[in-house]
Amino acid sequence: MACRLLRNLSKTNAVGVRLYSGEVKKCTLIPGDGIGPEISAAVQKIFECAKVPIEWESVDVTPVRGPDGKFGIPQAAIDSVNRNKIGLKGPLMTPVGKGHRSLNLALRKEFNLYANVRPCKSLEGYKTLYDHVDVVTIRENTEGEYSGIEHEIVDGVVQSIKLITEDASIRVAEFAFQYAKENNRHKVTAVHKANIMRMSDGLFLRCCRDMAKKYPEVKFEEKYLDTVCLNMVQDPLQYDVLVMPNLYGDILSDMCAGLVGGLGLTPSGNIGLNGALFESVHGTAPDIAGKDLANPTALLLSAVMMLRYMGLNSHADKIADACYATIREAKFLTGDLGGKAKCSEFTNEICDKVMKS
Amino acid sequence: MSFLTRNIPRILVQASARNIHTTVNQNATAVNPAERPDTRVSCTLIPGDGVGPELVYSVQEVFKAAGIPVDFESYFFSEVNPTLSAPLEDVAASIAKNRVCLKGILASPDYSHTGELATLNMKLRNNLDLYANVVHVQSLPGIKSRHKDIDCVIIREQTEGEYSALEHESVKGVVECLKIVTARKSQRIAKFAFDYATKNGRKKVTAVHKANIMKLGDGLFLKSCEQMAKLYPRIEFERMIVDNCTMQMVSNPQQFDVMVTPNLYGNIVDNLASGLVGGAGVVAGASYSADCVVFEPGARHTYSEAVGKNVANPTAMLLCSAKMLRHVNLPVYGQMIRNAVDKVLQDGKVRTKDIGGQSSTQEFTYAVIHNLQMPA
Amino acid sequence: MACRILRKQPLKLGHNIIRAQSTMSAFEIQHKTPLIRKTEPIPVALYGGRNAVTMLPGGGIGPELMGYVKEVFKYAGAPVDFEVVEIDEKSEDNDDLDYAITSIKRNGVAIKGNIETKSESANVTSRNVAIRNELDLYVNVLNCKSYPGVPARQSNIDVVIIRQNTEGEYAMLEHESVDGVVESMKVVTKSNSDRVARFAFEYAKKNGRKKITTIHKANIMKLSDGLFLETSKKIAKEYPEIEHNDMIIDNCCMQLVSNPHQFDVMIMTNLYGSIVSNVVCGVIGGAGLLSGKNYGDHYAIFEPGTRNTGTAIAGKNIANPIAMLNASVDMLRHLGHSQHAELIQRAINRTVSEDHIHTPDLGGSAKSTDVVSRIIDHIMQDTRHW
Repeated sequence: MACRLLRNLSKTNAVGVRLYSGEVKKCTLIPGDGIGPEISAAVQKIFECAKVPIEWESVDVTPVRGPDGKFGIPQAAIDSVNRNKIGLKGPLMTPVGKGHRSLNLALRKEFNLYANVRPCKSLEGYKTLYDHVDVVTIRENTEGEYSGIEHEIVDGVVQSIKLITEDASIRVAEFAFQYAKENNRHKVTAVHKANIMRMSDGLFLRCCRDMAKKYPEVKFEEKYLDTVCLNMVQDPLQYDVLVMPNLYGDILSDMCAGLVGGLGLTPSGNIGLNGALFESVHGTAPDIAGKDLANPTALLLSAVMMLRYMGLNSHADKIADACYATIREAKFLTGDLGGKAKCSEFTNEICDKVMKS
Repeated sequence: MSFLTRNIPRILVQASARNIHTTVNQNATAVNPAERPDTRVSCTLIPGDGVGPELVYSVQEVFKAAGIPVDFESYFFSEVNPTLSAPLEDVAASIAKNRVCLKGILASPDYSHTGELATLNMKLRNNLDLYANVVHVQSLPGIKSRHKDIDCVIIREQTEGEYSALEHESVKGVVECLKIVTARKSQRIAKFAFDYATKNGRKKVTAVHKANIMKLGDGLFLKSCEQMAKLYPRIEFERMIVDNCTMQMVSNPQQFDVMVTPNLYGNIVDNLASGLVGGAGVVAGASYSADCVVFEPGARHTYSEAVGKNVANPTAMLLCSAKMLRHVNLPVYGQMIRNAVDKVLQDGKVRTKDIGGQSSTQEFTYAVIHNLQMPA
Repeated sequence: MACRILRKQPLKLGHNIIRAQSTMSAFEIQHKTPLIRKTEPIPVALYGGRNAVTMLPGGGIGPELMGYVKEVFKYAGAPVDFEVVEIDEKSEDNDDLDYAITSIKRNGVAIKGNIETKSESANVTSRNVAIRNELDLYVNVLNCKSYPGVPARQSNIDVVIIRQNTEGEYAMLEHESVDGVVESMKVVTKSNSDRVARFAFEYAKKNGRKKITTIHKANIMKLSDGLFLETSKKIAKEYPEIEHNDMIIDNCCMQLVSNPHQFDVMIMTNLYGSIVSNVVCGVIGGAGLLSGKNYGDHYAIFEPGTRNTGTAIAGKNIANPIAMLNASVDMLRHLGHSQHAELIQRAINRTVSEDHIHTPDLGGSAKSTDVVSRIIDHIMQDTRHW
């Protein structure tokens, strides 16, 4: 699947990525902070029940002081992900104060995670104002507005640079079309604001148009960012796969998550040149940490995405079906979904379903 | 104070009684002349692109029917049709003179015929320094939408930020786009938002930003808002990151009151909020400079696929005109149009396509005219 | 005395003030820092041609007069939005007052009635004084002009009284040094005297006035009033086209009632200003007509000229609305809405001078509302265009 695409892009990295179901594959697990360890444990338990051929390699990414005096990710963690090329990550807390780089950002840089994928699908059983939403946002993750190049020209005037490059734009556009093709999606929409930012968004748009010609079987359309925002909240069904630069993706992906019930239910994957990292994007929820109240759905669905990425489709389907069914039956829902069940009860129910199937 | 409230109605009655010449047919003169200052107001009119001209025509029909003392100075102004367009200077001079303008939406093509980066909209805004865009998003009666009771005001800085039109290709395939944030303009928009909240009795101002990533740029904006907030101890101030804001907006939009945003985020939040209450056809907005106001629909879509089909929804434009009348001290007429539009929407018999009906623009306009009534 | 202290250690004192400012109480800030305050510029509250203005109705007849102002503005279409801040006169703390001051800082302009300070305790100061000091409104301008239709002792008077507004006798530094002996300090600073004198000469120049008279008592208070007089004489040299003389306060009062036409522009310290303005008001026909303007470097407050609350006649519909309406006209002029100012001014003049609609204080029998509705009628007539 997507790994195949990766091989196209950087042939050197592809060695050992591809898997066969029989083989046991190592996978890095970053449990994270707050509710992270509980929900990671839940995912591990479900995977065990489903007999997924994966061996977890749990690492700690608490920042340590590096040789240069700055705090950063421990080398062991980096080595682990580099070795395994694949990782699953719980929520991380970025310590407040200077000298700490955001860990999320550091991981993104380290593994060159250029595309962020977030499928937002309405879950039956958890009612929101929007039904049957099924949108995938694909976001360029390395440049654009978040390039981090900013300076104060004179006192009181700040200039931030939004950087758009052809390479990165083509890369993410190709990934989007590839993703659409392999997941039986019909349409890719490029979201842009080229009427205002005529050169930068214009370049991004041009790259998408060029790529669209190579995938005639996938429908391509271009829409202004504001139009998408307007239509998305009125009728989200008209969109399928959305591909866009960094900032727009950041905003739209959270908005789509809002349509289906929040970040606690949406999985997320980061595809990179040196590996792929799947994560839950919700917060660490320190107030309910350790109380067995957290909802592991986002991390579980992220893990399912990971399985698909690794080609373990049958396991992925089994777990995903069990998860959807549990939420649909609404017997064991956690507090955030309006139920009263504990995290462990929810997990056990999914395990039962997985075993039965 | 109570003395005052007792007396003001009396003043009004006295004043009106003297001005009604015939007491016989009082019901026929439902319009109380005392409350109708009859200075004629002139107003610049820019129909815009797409369905703009049709909507503007609808407004003019309503104004004619209501006998509103407003003279329009109409200018054809368009970026997609540069040869026919009036020069920017003329339009700007007219607006500066009249201090009010009613404007449809200008289409901004991806490429300008001269290869310029700035769009006509941007040029007009910069020329007149129309720095604050105010969109009042409110659930309207009779329009079906998923969310109920939304009432928020989005105030957007629109002369700098991402819309500075400073872009260059440093090396082939690498484009840099500059986003400029200045302390002066950030403070100005923050003060605008707080003053707006004070004037309209709002309780809370939310600053929307992305200062966790753009630490300097959005950081400066946020800092300016925080500084300004100190001068308004009776208004709650809140910060929200833009992605969280959009998520909150689709799940719990009732929590928002006044929102103040930099340029691009404002565009996103405007459109998002408009989508929540029924789309681009029903939300009115306005752009303010120190001296003039341009009233225009809140969500900027030209709806060009509907041109000439007589199906566009004139609600937004009519609400704009009502706001305009209130601004030029003709509040009675403003209220009259507002009430008529509310009534038509509430009755739900005449609805345009975008809000689930079959009626034409013209039918809607006539329905509004039919419902025009001087408020008691 | 205080003056001498200030002169002896000006540098050191200034230094302490700057350092101490954040920790000082409001009282201390008003009275112990008679220096020019630096303020950060705040963007003007002018949006789409409409100004935001703080309205402090104050006590007594204030609220009803403000109601008339709003009513008149509505008909005149004056592009002004009022932010009304009520100050609870009975409260001991100054929360409302602080808010009012913040509000004026934001809007830059205010219209105000007289605010009562009901507290009896010695260290609670007058809130009017507090507002002026806090905003550093160092000058008060009272334009005393006779209305032809108003019965008065003297007619055709046109005098401008410019008064130092933040220091002098109103410093309110009082103490009982030994039992039965109370000292009250009068503070005059060179910087403030300088600002007032300069303001007066600039005002005279801009408005085509010919003569400036400095009112003082330098024969007795040689140092304090001496400094004030000396400063204005020095500034006068820079404006040779304007005639300058000086007069002692007691003589001035006598001249005002006997021969007021000799005066043109007058400048004086705080207490004398209070006396002279009331004398002039009496001469031209009462407290209900004149409006006063308070200016600082950044802010302006408009109010009725003589600062009386009129609690006794509150709610009886007999208060004279003209003073407050004149204040609102001044405000419109200050904001640059001269057309609307003219419109209202004309209506007022016609009502008072031609129609002779007068409230009891001017010897008439009209109600306040009668005056206001006649003014509105005039406005309506002027705005009609068919």
